[in-house]
Amino acid sequence: MTPPGDAPLLDVENVVKYFPVRGGAVVQREVAQVRAVENVSFTLTTGETLGLVGESGCGKSTLARLVTALHPVTSGHIRFKGEDITTLSRRQMRPLRRSLQMVFQDPYGSLNPRRRVGSILGDPFSVHGTLSRGQVKKEVQDLMARVGLSPEHFNRFPSEFSGGQRQRIGIARALALHPDLIVCDEPVSALDVSIQAQIINLLEDLQDEFNLTYIFIAHDLSVVRHVSDRLAVMYLGKLVETGPVEEIYSRSRHPYTASLLSAVPVAATAFRGARKERVILSGDVPSPVNPPSGCRFHPRCPKAQERCATEEPLLEQKPGDAPGHLTACHFPVEAGEMLAIASRETPALVGPPATSAEATAP
Amino acid sequence: MSLFRADAGVEVIEEANDHEIVGEEGTPDQADIVGRTPWALAWIRLRHDRVAMISLGFIVFLVLVAIFAPLLTALIGHGPNAQYPNTGLSLSGIPVAPGHNGFLLGTDDQGRDVLSRIIYGTRVSLVVGVGATLVALVIGMVVGLVAGYYGGWSDTILARFMDILLSFPILLFALAIIARFGPSLELVVIVIAMFSWPYIGRLVRGQVISLREREFVEAARALGSSDLRIMFVEILPNLLALAVIYATLLIPVNIVLEATLSFLGLGVQPPTASWGNMIAEAQNGDLFTVAWWFLVFPCLALVLTTLAFNLLGDGLRDALDPRHGRSQMTPKSKATRRADAKGRADAKATAEAKASAAMVEAEA
Repeated sequence: MTPPGDAPLLDVENVVKYFPVRGGAVVQREVAQVRAVENVSFTLTTGETLGLVGESGCGKSTLARLVTALHPVTSGHIRFKGEDITTLSRRQMRPLRRSLQMVFQDPYGSLNPRRRVGSILGDPFSVHGTLSRGQVKKEVQDLMARVGLSPEHFNRFPSEFSGGQRQRIGIARALALHPDLIVCDEPVSALDVSIQAQIINLLEDLQDEFNLTYIFIAHDLSVVRHVSDRLAVMYLGKLVETGPVEEIYSRSRHPYTASLLSAVPVAATAFRGARKERVILSGDVPSPVNPPSGCRFHPRCPKAQERCATEEPLLEQKPGDAPGHLTACHFPVEAGEMLAIASRETPALVGPPATSAEATAP
Repeated sequence: MSLFRADAGVEVIEEANDHEIVGEEGTPDQADIVGRTPWALAWIRLRHDRVAMISLGFIVFLVLVAIFAPLLTALIGHGPNAQYPNTGLSLSGIPVAPGHNGFLLGTDDQGRDVLSRIIYGTRVSLVVGVGATLVALVIGMVVGLVAGYYGGWSDTILARFMDILLSFPILLFALAIIARFGPSLELVVIVIAMFSWPYIGRLVRGQVISLREREFVEAARALGSSDLRIMFVEILPNLLALAVIYATLLIPVNIVLEATLSFLGLGVQPPTASWGNMIAEAQNGDLFTVAWWFLVFPCLALVLTTLAFNLLGDGLRDALDPRHGRSQMTPKSKATRRADAKGRADAKATAEAKASAAMVEAEA
């Protein structure tokens, strides 16, 4: 089933998610809100892979759980195949779940330790009641074979598999009902590097075979670059830059993206000519309970000026950028510009960028 | 990025790993390891725990005794309630000592066979102890699951309700209820279950609160599983080990509670034998100062049963929940804890005996 015409498979519009912070001695009152995701919009077409990157705690996983309707949104709309899933009840959501699946980060935590793999993988069929018992067993064994597991192992417990094998089980579970969209929440970050490669190759093969659409969350930028068609960079619950992956990698406009990318270790021989200055951000990510005013990145931004603290930049296409390359920044990074390094001592949150050129040798 | 190309090197590694695994499974020694359930693993651990195995053996023996009570008493030749004024009592009315006239454990003040009565008392103790615990287990699991899984106001209400029940003076309320409705075996089971389920419920609730945040629950939700399915298919299997451990530890508590109620005349009614009312009858007078056996043997049955269940529960905890058990400790401290556990159980038994004695004095 493909969406009619050019309608996107997934349309996320101004999605906001606040988590309440409760406190109080006797009666629990809402004392604050964690602004996990704020005003995020993006679309996704069938067969595409959107890479979602950002620091820990920037709201990537929350966004994943909003898209898969595991958490209700605070406001905004998420349309999946044209249907607004934010207004659906759990019962109404159920048929849609078949085509909207998720692969979880932790291959140890996402499989029930007390259930056999065959039973875990049979869940999608028994929950959606599509097959008879005998067919389920055959389907499960086919699935296991498809993701590179021995079908004879369906009577084993998750603890009898390695991390990579467990992640294959997690992928098989997501794949069981032939979904259109799979949200992969850091599917490889808990795995060894050689296993990561296997899992990523598996995900790519499956994408080709079943015309899958992925949202691929990771904090490993080289992984994201490898798998994604488009990239979305999040900072403190907001999208700061989005666009075609090579476009962003070759000329990122947002200072945060630039600093993220400059942190990717490169083999000295590969990019000798294009070796970039590393931008080291100072300070920690501010609390999402009380995010900074204006541009949320300004306290750590090497290019921050007065305007950044007062006026929130919109996510828009900057002059000279390719279509679809959107940046939320008042002073986007120009081509060839060397970003100054925000030194640790910089006390001024606003003002001219610090110019101390710290040695960048790792 | 060459890193993520499925180049030959990676393939080779993968194949090598596969071969290794296959090789391991191929060897006949290891073949039976495949597919071992957590329960099977726990059983293997339990088998190495000698104290727990002896306790288990004793409990199995008790169960067999309870089942075959009529057969056993027929073999002995003395019914549990039959009085033997000619052979069971001496001319001056003193009970016959153990081993005389075919009474292995002697007779009581009415000339009844103590052994036969203990055998029938086993039935009562196990039925009430195990029965009440099973009822408590079912109620406690369901309430704990609902409270822990849903949280919010339903949790507040259920958790408070359990706290209130736990703060009741159990014996006093049990007495009041039984006095109101008249004593019967069923009522004893119900009353004991009513006051013991909150122990299980509170424990289960705490576990569920942590389990519901686990990723596999989220994965089930992402598949569209219903709440009921998540509670009973995903969460419940993770609670069973805990339930088995605490049920085993709750059984002796409930057996003692039954004995206490019978002792106070509100449990099993005479002449039906129960360890509790046997102890009560024995202390009802001072004949036990000359004929100690008809007081001591029912007490011994109670103490040994309680001890066996407690030690088995202890062993089960180690076997089923190795992370919280003694398996991380050194063998020396193992022995120390074993001794501690025994000491605790003994102290418990002594305390019970003392309490019984105190009750007698109060009655007199």
